[in-house]
Amino acid sequence: MSLLERRYRGVLRLLPASYRAEREEEMVAAFMEAAGDVPDEVNPRPGWGEIASVLGLALRVRIGGTLAAPRAYAWGEAVRLVALLGLAYQTVYAVFVAADLYRALTFEADPNFAGAPGSIERLLSIAESVATLCSAIAFVAITRGHPRLAKVTALIGAMPALGYAATGAGPLAAGPNPGGQVASAVFVLFPVAALMLGFHRDVAPRRRSWGLALSPIIAGLVTMGGVQVMLSLRLHEHDWLYLWLDLIGMSVLALAAESLFVLVRGRSPAWALALSAAASLLLLVRLPMMIDNYGNAPNAIPWLTMLEQCVLLIVLIGVLAGTGLKALPRS
Amino acid sequence: MHITEPMFLALTALVDEPRHGYGIVQEVDRLSEGRVQLKIGTLYGVLDRLAAEGLVAPDREEVQQGRLRRYYRLTDDGARALQEEAVRMAANASTATTRLRARAARGTPATGGALFSGGAGRGMLAGGAA
Repeated sequence: MSLLERRYRGVLRLLPASYRAEREEEMVAAFMEAAGDVPDEVNPRPGWGEIASVLGLALRVRIGGTLAAPRAYAWGEAVRLVALLGLAYQTVYAVFVAADLYRALTFEADPNFAGAPGSIERLLSIAESVATLCSAIAFVAITRGHPRLAKVTALIGAMPALGYAATGAGPLAAGPNPGGQVASAVFVLFPVAALMLGFHRDVAPRRRSWGLALSPIIAGLVTMGGVQVMLSLRLHEHDWLYLWLDLIGMSVLALAAESLFVLVRGRSPAWALALSAAASLLLLVRLPMMIDNYGNAPNAIPWLTMLEQCVLLIVLIGVLAGTGLKALPRS
Repeated sequence: MHITEPMFLALTALVDEPRHGYGIVQEVDRLSEGRVQLKIGTLYGVLDRLAAEGLVAPDREEVQQGRLRRYYRLTDDGARALQEEAVRMAANASTATTRLRARAARGTPATGGALFSGGAGRGMLAGGAA
């Protein structure tokens, strides 16, 4: 076997074993025919274009589309659900951002917006909010069957998180743990990556109902109203309660409820795997906060609340991943 | 289904006879006058999609110099899909050509004969569904 063939077979290892069993020999034959006689002495390697094409094929095969084998399709559905869950969360958050933006545009003093009204700093702050609102457009677009628009707007929506991670600036920069900044970026970018990879050309766009498409916006409005009620009742002043009342805390509760439903009703493995991934993302943003506050005696109760949430998430990750993997089709 | 340019060319390559992987790559290269050079990973992604839609099917297998050659043929559904796509593209090209002729007849200064030199055909192939 020539050096080039050996190296190309190495590249083909990106593909699932079942796919290789079916296709490897003819792919190698086609590649070697195209390459011609290349002596080992010239240290030949497959070109980057060939490697990229195999990588693209591997991703499409592993993250199965509409006509894929049951196992690959289940993995594909899990990835697509992660994208939907992540964008749904960002859409709920965008409702809060939209409310702040409305206040800022009326040029009131708003603590959520940097700089004086009319200043460059304020304009940048507003631009960041507008970018965040694009995540809501992305969710509506993907649920209404427009993957291209969804991908573009989701990328715009992720720009602020990407910018903060790259520059080390942003709301968490002053915190003692720089990991929080990276964790926040991963939290936003992971579902966007899932959107890019999951909704590929082999996935027929599905047009879901307007009810589903708008549900995160409605959830955001309900949550915002609930927060106002809780603030008026001064519930946030209770140390043991207030970390359940922020968006991450409420998401932990919502995810626990949905997980219970999935585990009891035995829904598809894709749901279990996607919720396990979503729980991992929530853990990723709670953990740095918990580490930051470790040993902070005056705040012992909030720290214990974070510990409760992290333990709950770890249990959910394990149970859901185990259930999902066990329920996956064999082929 | 949406037929991309590589899919269209791969189907066209199989019209006259069944071909194996590298044979399709060569024929697509010829058909597109060197403009579309399918990488092997791309080719098999295209063949997977076409086979899943029932537009191509495995024809036979041969071993040449110790290497496996699997041949693919165009199915009747594939021929129908290719015909429909060709008609659609021809209609679009015809509309564009008619309008360009009318524009030229109105005396609008031509911005180069390149408009009539096959550029439209390329665009049609590359373009999505109308």
